[in-house]
Amino acid sequence: MLARLKTLAFLVLLGPGFLLPTVRKTVNAAQTHVSARVLHVPDVRNQGLIPDTTSGINSATPMSQRIVHYEIEAKYDAAKHTIEGKELLTYHNLTGQALDHFPFHLYQNAFQPKSTWVREAKIQGSRDIDYEHWLSSDYGSDEITRIEVVGQGDLTRKLQYIQPDDGNPDDKTVVDLHLPKSIAPGNYVQFKIDFREQMPETQARSGWKRDFLLASQWFPKVGVWWQGAWNCHQYHATTEFFADFGVYDVKLTVPQYEVIGATGVEVSSVDNSDGTKTVTYHGDDIHDFAWTVSPRFKVQEGTYQAQMGPIQLRFLMQPAHWRQVARHERIIRETLDRFEKWYGPYPYKTLTIVDPEPGSAAGGMEYPTFITGGTNWYAQKGRHDVEVVLEHEFGHQYWYGMVATNEFEDAWMDEGINSYTEVKVLDSIFGKNSSILHLAGVTEGEREDQRLGYLEAPDLDPMAQKAYQYYNFNSYGDITYSKTACVLLTVEGIIGEDTMAKAMRAYFMKYRFTHPTKEDFLKTIEEASGKNLRWYFDQAVYGTQVLDYEVVSIQAFPVHWYESRDNLGTERKDTLYQSYVAVHRKGDFVMPVDVEIVFDNGEKIREHWDGQNRWMRFGYQKKAKILSAEIDPDHTIQIDSNAFNDSYVIKADPKPARKLSNYWLFLTQWIAQALAWWVA
Amino acid sequence: MNENKGLLIAGLNTVMRNKRYIFWFWLLNLTLGEFGVSAFRRSTHAVLDHSLHSAGLVHGFDLSILLELLARPQFGVNSLRGFLAHPATSATLPASAPSLYFAFLFLVLTVLALPGVLTGYASRYRLRREDFFRACGRNLWQMVRLVIVAGILMALVSPLLFRFHSALERQSMESTNEMLLPVVQGLGLVVIFLLLAGFRIAFDLAEADVVLSDQGAVRRSISAGFRHASQSLGKLIACYIATTFVAGVVMLLGLSAWVKLVAPENVWAAFAVSQITLLFLLVPRFWQRGVAVAYWQQRMMAPPIPITPGPALVTLSGKSEGSAIGEG
Repeated sequence: MLARLKTLAFLVLLGPGFLLPTVRKTVNAAQTHVSARVLHVPDVRNQGLIPDTTSGINSATPMSQRIVHYEIEAKYDAAKHTIEGKELLTYHNLTGQALDHFPFHLYQNAFQPKSTWVREAKIQGSRDIDYEHWLSSDYGSDEITRIEVVGQGDLTRKLQYIQPDDGNPDDKTVVDLHLPKSIAPGNYVQFKIDFREQMPETQARSGWKRDFLLASQWFPKVGVWWQGAWNCHQYHATTEFFADFGVYDVKLTVPQYEVIGATGVEVSSVDNSDGTKTVTYHGDDIHDFAWTVSPRFKVQEGTYQAQMGPIQLRFLMQPAHWRQVARHERIIRETLDRFEKWYGPYPYKTLTIVDPEPGSAAGGMEYPTFITGGTNWYAQKGRHDVEVVLEHEFGHQYWYGMVATNEFEDAWMDEGINSYTEVKVLDSIFGKNSSILHLAGVTEGEREDQRLGYLEAPDLDPMAQKAYQYYNFNSYGDITYSKTACVLLTVEGIIGEDTMAKAMRAYFMKYRFTHPTKEDFLKTIEEASGKNLRWYFDQAVYGTQVLDYEVVSIQAFPVHWYESRDNLGTERKDTLYQSYVAVHRKGDFVMPVDVEIVFDNGEKIREHWDGQNRWMRFGYQKKAKILSAEIDPDHTIQIDSNAFNDSYVIKADPKPARKLSNYWLFLTQWIAQALAWWVA
Repeated sequence: MNENKGLLIAGLNTVMRNKRYIFWFWLLNLTLGEFGVSAFRRSTHAVLDHSLHSAGLVHGFDLSILLELLARPQFGVNSLRGFLAHPATSATLPASAPSLYFAFLFLVLTVLALPGVLTGYASRYRLRREDFFRACGRNLWQMVRLVIVAGILMALVSPLLFRFHSALERQSMESTNEMLLPVVQGLGLVVIFLLLAGFRIAFDLAEADVVLSDQGAVRRSISAGFRHASQSLGKLIACYIATTFVAGVVMLLGLSAWVKLVAPENVWAAFAVSQITLLFLLVPRFWQRGVAVAYWQQRMMAPPIPITPGPALVTLSGKSEGSAIGEG
């Protein structure tokens, strides 16, 4: 450690001029995103400051451009739910310019009554809690008790809370530190931080529940220099996270009775004389670190042979869910199979799957090499909720974990792309129309579920919107998750399933271990397909247009209708009919569509309509009557807001309505009987 | 146990002797249900009949199609929720709302027809139609008063019980044993069921007493109902549990038959199975009424006053007084 500090002090003294050639080279790499994946800057000054270790990955060389190295020693007080820690953060300035201030996220300060997070949750709703009453257990805090910049001394007094998004002076989720001396481009800076965390009762997948703890966003984390500026947003009710890749070495001291799981690879575990144990973890090419403890976890371990090497799977299960461990393992293995085959290799050596404490708000979350699922003791086999959550959270290892988009600003790029791949994977495992539910003759598919989610709030916000600027929590969820999935499924319909698969793989392989933008993703699709899809992206991604096409009418009459009835031949097979099909674009989303017209002689005609005008009428003169007309007969458009009016069949089929009415009749008769049973 | 068996069998025999009541109540239930469902039916036909998208509901049952349909404004769960919260000011009446009105109407008609049923159950001969309706008419206001009192009591007690249940739930949620919560929930619901069943038994006996004793003072019948319910709580509640268990079995069998035996596209078979299930679901409740009547006859009915000829008054002439009067 001392040698590292001496090296750093030496580098700081040398100043920016000494490092300039290296800086230019590195910045170019960062800007193009091309050489950023397996980057090992041949610079002796790098050695020891940000390690080139690879013990956490199945790769001989680092896979990311390592900006940060966090060395943390923390002790958990299980009675008080507090974490006392010391953090040595090494930051490599690859921004291409001198940095004179560094913002840090203090996420746990969100859980305070006057914070922006709570304020927004009260207005817009949140995933877990409505804050109707403030409870002392809701309180969380993240305090830097001391900060020293190596070579510049103790700068604790220079810390200043900032509120870059909303100016709320009571929000303390971002703190800024101005340095007396700038850090030159290419140089390193080391922060020695003492911090204290008060974890709240679980909110936003962080905190404790009874004697369980999910420690996420639990240490001061530096912002990301992105697009020429610091990107360090306040913590909002609808936002997640954004951080740079690097190396994590974390020593956690917890009571010996705790079963622990964490990001990365366990290096050692030492029992201490005071009834605690210290477990050390190491992670390479990751941008966050989370851990969990509970005295009741039951552990199952297994190995998955991935493309780059073996992965140790570790399942931390609740005792009451132990019989579901095979179910958990099966979905993880099947999901891994598909992600590796379709998108690219999973390079990490571990994956920890946590079944969180029942009743906690800790389920369904992702951190690098570490995910939380969610189940209950009565989970039925025909309902795939357990699998949906686990698949989704694993998918985030790719869309967030490795392709590390800015979750504050482009939430659709992790949640939505992940929801799209969720549809693909679950359809592949459980079947297209039964990937969510297949129970007692009732089925439901994941893609339709995403579409229903989108229909809840189709036009309030565009996808390309900062996560904290959505109208409310529902709109955020419906658009970032569901609309994005539907929009990408529709893209798949436009460019073809194989081309879309190639685009997704190209996107992952090109942008893994980087921070791509929305245009990086959209251009990748255009490049893979060779098509200009701006007309679509402008409406679907950047706009709020809603698509609704309908078959508005089908009309037919004999061509010789004016002849006497005897000669009309209405009942004869050779009667010539003049038929029309009219289609109508009800919504403001313009999209070319196919229309299929089926005649009673078995003939099918496909028409193509560019959708530019509000309506279109197709006419035919045939010795056959029209049976039906259907817009988008291949069902490639997932964003149509009303699927019922996409088709029209001349001959009514009353069965579906009768069937539903019978269900409703049964239900209401039963309610009437039950009412009479108890009241009369 | 034998006494319980006796009550149960006596109740069942009563029901079996008067099967027609069950049939008529089922027919009433179906008729009102049909009226209630007509708006829903009209709306579903309008959306589904000419759409290829609805085919997923026929061959199998694609839940997403149903959910998409229910999300439409004319069916909307939100509009139904709004309607239930503010029925007077709700902007639109969802297609599902009339069913609730007709369910309530079934309750009202059940209350009105109950005196006839109870009279029929107590009768050893087949009650004539005019006697049935006469009993209904004669006891109309007593029944209304009884239902109001029962409603007030239930409305006071039920929220308390469920609030207590929720408090227990919250406590058990703090346990590290996840299985404690379902156990507490299950046991709590059983206790609530038993307590409410106790109330129900008391009011069933009171209704029987009002009708069969021709009791004008409802409070006396209620008091008698509660007194007897507490005196014979064990055996009465055992009877009610047994009949409720039968109802559960009927429901399970009906739904199983529906799911396993009826082809998804066979709407008429589904209708038949569902209606048979509903018909048989009425049996347990009528059985409980039969038990109440049997109990009333065994324990609550005022014993008949024996008519014994009084000592004859002998006149000096040696003729009885009556005769003398008669002759006078």
